Amino acid sequence: MRDRFTLYCDRPIPALDMPNALAYEVADRKQEGRPLYALVCKPEMPPRISVMRTLKGLEIPAVLHMVDWGVAEWPLAERKCVIVIYHRPLGGRVMDSMASTFKRIPDHQFARAVIKPIADGLVELALKGIAHRSIRPDNLYYMDEQRTKIVLGDCVTSVPSHDQPVVLETIESGMAMPSGRGGGTYADDMYAFGATILMLAIGRNPMQGVPDAEITRRKIQMGSYAALVGDERMPVAQIECLRGLLTDDAEQRWAATNIDLWLNGKRLTPIQAKPESTAQRPLRFADQEFHSIRPLSYAMYQNWEKAISIISDGTLEIWIRRGHEINDLADGIASAIKSTGAMATIAGNKIDTDDVIIARVLMLLDPKAPVRFREFRGFVEGFGQSLAIAMLRKQKLQPFQDFINRDLWRHWINAQGKAAAENQQYETVFRDLKNYMKDPNSGAGLERCVYELNEWQFCMSPLVEAQYVMEVKGVLPALDAVSKTVNTKLWPVDRHVAAFLRARYAKGTGSQIDAMNDARPDRATIGMLSVLAIVQWRLGPEALYGLAMWVGSLMNPVINSYQNRNKRKDLEKEIPKLIRKGNLAELYNFLDNPEERQKDAEGFAWAKAEFAGAEKQIYDFEHGQVDRQESAIKTGRQVGTVAATLIMFVTFLVVLMGKLL
Amino acid sequence: MKKRSTFFLYVMLAIPIGLMIIPTVIVLAVALVPTGVAFIMERGKGYYGGLTVGAMNLAGTSPYLADLWTQGHTVATATGIITNVFAWLMFYGAALFGWAIYSTTPAMVSAFITMTSGNRITALRTTQRELVQKWGPDVESVYEPEGAAAAKEAAAAAATAEPMAPRR
Repeated sequence: MRDRFTLYCDRPIPALDMPNALAYEVADRKQEGRPLYALVCKPEMPPRISVMRTLKGLEIPAVLHMVDWGVAEWPLAERKCVIVIYHRPLGGRVMDSMASTFKRIPDHQFARAVIKPIADGLVELALKGIAHRSIRPDNLYYMDEQRTKIVLGDCVTSVPSHDQPVVLETIESGMAMPSGRGGGTYADDMYAFGATILMLAIGRNPMQGVPDAEITRRKIQMGSYAALVGDERMPVAQIECLRGLLTDDAEQRWAATNIDLWLNGKRLTPIQAKPESTAQRPLRFADQEFHSIRPLSYAMYQNWEKAISIISDGTLEIWIRRGHEINDLADGIASAIKSTGAMATIAGNKIDTDDVIIARVLMLLDPKAPVRFREFRGFVEGFGQSLAIAMLRKQKLQPFQDFINRDLWRHWINAQGKAAAENQQYETVFRDLKNYMKDPNSGAGLERCVYELNEWQFCMSPLVEAQYVMEVKGVLPALDAVSKTVNTKLWPVDRHVAAFLRARYAKGTGSQIDAMNDARPDRATIGMLSVLAIVQWRLGPEALYGLAMWVGSLMNPVINSYQNRNKRKDLEKEIPKLIRKGNLAELYNFLDNPEERQKDAEGFAWAKAEFAGAEKQIYDFEHGQVDRQESAIKTGRQVGTVAATLIMFVTFLVVLMGKLL
Repeated sequence: MKKRSTFFLYVMLAIPIGLMIIPTVIVLAVALVPTGVAFIMERGKGYYGGLTVGAMNLAGTSPYLADLWTQGHTVATATGIITNVFAWLMFYGAALFGWAIYSTTPAMVSAFITMTSGNRITALRTTQRELVQKWGPDVESVYEPEGAAAAKEAAAAAATAEPMAPRR
């Protein structure tokens, strides 16, 4: 990689594998003997390229040092992959896996050796605008063989918090599917840090074997700290810190400053959880009794099919109005039911209306929770990355279409109840996405959405997927490289390539892609050529022999769009010469010459008129109508006039000659 | 305004000239009546009728005009001509011949075209084939005279219409 690092495909390091990246030995040609290892990212998981660009070469205390990263050909996958090179932690993982137990770190070392350095590292990351989102005991490493220096492991080989177990995530994040958790914040990191400290302190995962849904239910019911600690005996010295870090209210959660104060011996005010509204009269749902709204909301999601019954019969609304006396919420629910039903009536589609109603009611009951719509659970912020992962894994995309088309994003933003600037930004973004979804042409649709939402998403076209193209200027060389192996009857600009170019280079390719979507095959083909030609002309490279040959073989509709057969023959002779130059812009200019087109159109119109004129004459001849023909009459009269005039002149001449001679 | 003044100028020129050649004018005024009639009758169809009749009419007048100009250009001579029944026969006979030419030449030309149409159709077909070879089959069209298409449609509609119930 980069003519510097040699990766050894035959020397894997399973102990350092990540859930979405495999570890291999690597040698640095510049600094031989330097302990390094490489993580080769799995192609079905988009890595955090923007974070890689920031972290490359940076030495942040208590964070594994990323030496370099890049895209390189990976023979084992027979494709290009993202490869990240790290300093190799010599002491191995702190905890081999989330299921394993380990020797707990002694209490007297704990605060200074673990909490302080990691908290400082997280602050450094936060100052650079990065949330780590992969803080868990099995992603902590001992940098030295003596196992004294702990560092946070990799955080770039998968989307933020994708690999985090629910136990280490906040209640809200834990409710979301792993791909839909979004970028997260420093507060989320602090929560995961708290849960990690707790596990380090007791030497194992206290929730091991407990299903995710049960973990979330307990956290909602009891609060995160109580749920995680359970019956464990926690070191007294750390209880205050753990309570602070595992606070469910993100605004009250401890930050690095609180940890510093705590380490310096200052006692902080114990955090009091805001009591949830409880009703005296319980609401019975799914064989359970609920006094609070949030646990009911979670149970309703868990029992999706049953949820509509308490919504539609008014039980829920009445319970909230009378039991909790939250009239705004009750009114909101009534309004959501009414407006969703009305929309369904207008659209003429009552199917799935119940699902939208449930989703909207759940948003109102628990606004902090992610959007939950049947199997889809995700935050608006995480929509882009979850869509990318679903596409890469060839999963069902209907939930994502519903998310956009059924305005679930808008309902979620409205449910937040505060007009945050970032929510306004989502409004604009999703309005655009909805327009893309309405457009069935190439360069729009879900493909466009995925590239608009993910800045570094590589082009997922089956043609160039293996080439890992992340930038526009890489598209043409990638197509050129695959031109010998792909089916050249396919167009090189498929829906993904068009969407990728439109999202990354709209100014340069917008009108060309519009032309490509023309219903007339010749205009569409020349449009496709123009897309490639403009990209080559502006971004290079100079010559693309393989691609030119591929595109040239697709030009039949354009050649046939010329009516003049002689011109067609000329084009067929000339195209191979241009293909040999490898310049698509020249090929385009040659095929779409406006003067030639005009000449051809005019010539064709003239020929058509001439044919029609001849046809009429033939008809007249064949049907004996010559005597009635206007032209024949006119010619006859002209002949008569000329003859009479000649006779007159001759007569005059003869008479005058006779008289004079 | 300009047109009117030009006309006035022509009249002012024509009157002295007319007075100078008054015997000729007298003869022509009588002789060219059929030409005037022809111009009036055929004015909607171009001036071929008037020109043909006029040319023959003049040809018929030419012997008498020659006499007038050579034997004394006087009003008496002109009066002698216009009172001669043979002269009238000559003027009007020639005009009649002009009219005959005007009426028969179209038919004659049509007949000639019909006679040569076989060759012409072959030539036209050759031109059409060349056009198709150069421009492709899209250049082709079928000629249908006005009214034929409507008649064809009516026939097709009648064919597809529900048959009438047989009369008892």
